[in-house]
Amino acid sequence: MDNPVQPLEAGVFEEINTGKWGMVIDQDLCTGCQACVAACAMENNLSFVGEEDLAYGRAMHWIRIERFWNGQYPEVNTEFQPVLCQQCGHAPCEPVCPVYASVHSPSEDVNLQVYNRCVGTRYCANNCPYQARVFNWRDWQRPEPLNNQFNPDVTVRQRGVMEKCTFCIQRIHHVEDKAKSENREIQDGEMVPACAQACPADAIIFGRIDDPNSRVSKAARNNRGFKLLEDLGTLPRVSYLKGGSPHGRNS
Amino acid sequence: MSEPTTLLALFEDIDPAAEAIEKLRELGLPDDQMNVISGVPIPTRVLGRPRVKTNVPRIAMSGAILGILVGVFLIYGIPYLYPLHVGGQPLFPIPPGLIVTFEMTMLGLMGFSFIGMFLDSRFPSYEPMDYVPEISDGKIAVFFKCPSERQAEFEKAMKEMGAESVEPKEAQEL
Amino acid sequence: MAVTANAVSRPYQEEEQEDPREHLMFDPKPRGEMNGMVMESMHTTNWKFWVVTILLTVVVVTCLFGAWGYMIAKGLGVAGVNRPAYWGIFLTNVVFWIGISHAGTFISALLRVMKVEIRRPFTRAAELMTTFGLVQAGLSVFMHLGRVWRSYWLFPYPNQRTIWPDFHSPLMWDFMAINTYLLASTMYLFLPLLPDLAMARDRSTGWRKNVYRILSLGFRGTEGEWKNLHSAMNIFAFAIIPVMFSVHTIVAWDFAMATRPGWASSVFGPYFVIGALHSGIGAVLLVLFVIRSTMKHMKYFLRPEHFDFLGKLSLIISFTWAYFFFNDYLVPWYGGDKWEKLLLDFHEHGPLAWVWMTMLICNIVIPWAILWNKKWRRKPWLMGIIGFVINIGMWIERYVIIPISLTITRMPFTWRIYKPGIEIPLTIGTFALFMLLYMLASRLIPLIPVWEVQEGQEAHTLRKVGKATIPAVSEID
Repeated sequence: MDNPVQPLEAGVFEEINTGKWGMVIDQDLCTGCQACVAACAMENNLSFVGEEDLAYGRAMHWIRIERFWNGQYPEVNTEFQPVLCQQCGHAPCEPVCPVYASVHSPSEDVNLQVYNRCVGTRYCANNCPYQARVFNWRDWQRPEPLNNQFNPDVTVRQRGVMEKCTFCIQRIHHVEDKAKSENREIQDGEMVPACAQACPADAIIFGRIDDPNSRVSKAARNNRGFKLLEDLGTLPRVSYLKGGSPHGRNS
Repeated sequence: MSEPTTLLALFEDIDPAAEAIEKLRELGLPDDQMNVISGVPIPTRVLGRPRVKTNVPRIAMSGAILGILVGVFLIYGIPYLYPLHVGGQPLFPIPPGLIVTFEMTMLGLMGFSFIGMFLDSRFPSYEPMDYVPEISDGKIAVFFKCPSERQAEFEKAMKEMGAESVEPKEAQEL
Repeated sequence: MAVTANAVSRPYQEEEQEDPREHLMFDPKPRGEMNGMVMESMHTTNWKFWVVTILLTVVVVTCLFGAWGYMIAKGLGVAGVNRPAYWGIFLTNVVFWIGISHAGTFISALLRVMKVEIRRPFTRAAELMTTFGLVQAGLSVFMHLGRVWRSYWLFPYPNQRTIWPDFHSPLMWDFMAINTYLLASTMYLFLPLLPDLAMARDRSTGWRKNVYRILSLGFRGTEGEWKNLHSAMNIFAFAIIPVMFSVHTIVAWDFAMATRPGWASSVFGPYFVIGALHSGIGAVLLVLFVIRSTMKHMKYFLRPEHFDFLGKLSLIISFTWAYFFFNDYLVPWYGGDKWEKLLLDFHEHGPLAWVWMTMLICNIVIPWAILWNKKWRRKPWLMGIIGFVINIGMWIERYVIIPISLTITRMPFTWRIYKPGIEIPLTIGTFALFMLLYMLASRLIPLIPVWEVQEGQEAHTLRKVGKATIPAVSEID
């Protein structure tokens, strides 16, 4: 928190930029239950788009569970890949926004989507290789009494505005404020985003990846670890632990 | 000392017009007392007239320089004043800088050459001026100021050179 | 081998010489008569013209403004864009209309700089296409924005939030380039129009005369005025050519800077420029055919020779387009990038392969089959059809590049085919507005630059060289 990450100059060897907040998702543990999806929707005031829009690819899911079938019947097994915004160190969504609605936070080293600045050109969503961004195609209303569920820490977005996973930045700020007021550092495991909190298999680990002793850093060093689309050079802050062990098979 | 009258000699073709202009010079009329107006551009050397100067290129150049300055400000001044970091790209990027500076330079060059044309030709001017509608029908009009006592002499000379008509013409509203 | 000269039964001249009066430049009419023809073509209308105008107005009001207002109120959900095809027909239209507008600049600037005399009668018709095409492109840009009421944030202006637009973004380069191009081509339309507005002023009465009087700025045709006009027009002609190339290259870079398979191609810059010329010249052929067949006296000014020239140009550009297309095809086909290859397979063999095929047929097969024949190139109606077909092909090309290519991403879970929604009436609306603006302009703006035609006719002479009369052009400028 006292060590703001320096922005990159072009040409500087990038691997020193590991980021600040990061996540590890263990695909071996993930059961595809979508609790993280539901929790994220509750935490971040996501809209419910209805059947038709969802079928057309307009679901407002900041995290989605990608389900892959491997093998032929009867030796089929499923692999679940939760995909969310990777908060890239070299985010392709940032330079393409004409109005600076997608910028990099110098203090938290995450990618910020500024809702009240977004004009809705959707270039950032086109450019995201993970297709992690979702767009408010309409003003979806929440029927009574579901509108009482809104999280007061998070805004409600208008139609025409792009949004995406923020690593629950409202919780990050809450935890940081609390630690500051109690005059201490943030403890490892204190900051839990909604998806990690809800996961019944504890497949999502979140924490400070610039601290080599944090739980998330140790998990990322696991030899099952990989990053999505790593060759694109986006420097994602989310590591995945490869599944495929015998325990994951439907047998 | 008598008032000079403005006479208009209308010609159909270039050759008689060129000869007539030379005749006017022989009769003692300086070039700046003649005003040649035509419906198509005729190079001044064809009619034996002195070269015309134009300020448009100079004004256009100043516009181009202004454009360069605007472009440089947009790409370098703005990040200097309000720095915002995006996607691992440098704060003062050179290739986008070239693009934006090029566009602004061209806009300045062309915009100011347009304005320069207005300024140099003193457009728009809606006061009465020397003009006849036959000019836009392709005729070549030579307006010249001669001392009024020599009016008949000039009229006869122009008629001899092949003018369609020679007559005094007041400045008129276009 | 000895060559003997046999006596020819007919004299040499009869067989070889064509009548030079077939060419506009060698068929001069008195300027007053040409002025009268152009003025008459502006003023002569019949009931058919007004019926079409009213129909177009209705289409524009409902399909363009009505549907757009509905979309602004309801959000982009009524359009067909989704994940992953975040850009669809709106962007296709943007690229299409900017492409069409390039032909006007090509004809009036590049051909002027190269002193290609045959351009003289149709520069203005082409330039009007540029201006009105850019209007449609601008509208389409605004249409695709999620929050169009905030679009002024793309303009760099001092504000209390101390935040200015981001010039890292190709969309900002687009903003600068398209605005530069729009302003420059409007100014470039106006400059050669000035003497014709003066002519219209001299030949009009009533409210029309007042309009032309104000617009013609008091232009008379003095030596100073011509010199300034020429100087400005020369600067424009030279300067607007690189701007023309840069504008569509920058539009291409909107796609090339993205990390999508099939988009991050370094050939996109020149590929799009040639594509723009391809669709633009086709549109000019179509527009000239319509003008020639519907407006009075236009058959004197727009002759088979002009369609022949544009047809040849169109064939050359079609070859060049095919060259760039093959470049863009060969690289992914050869392999290397799994996603690019998948995308190519999707284009060629997927459910929308018929679209891709139609594009190739309209852009390559049909032009190559027809345009090599001189007799066919001299048929205005056939050239009009070819122009229309090429434009269909080029619109489809942009559709293939934008929504169809966006279907395939590096995350297969997100693949989904784009289905247009309200974009269809909005597209029809932009085409209707283009035609409406053009038809209204044809009532107010002389479509033929008569002073340029006369200037050309005075410079063209017939020279006797030996026994033959040879057409010659003097460089009288």
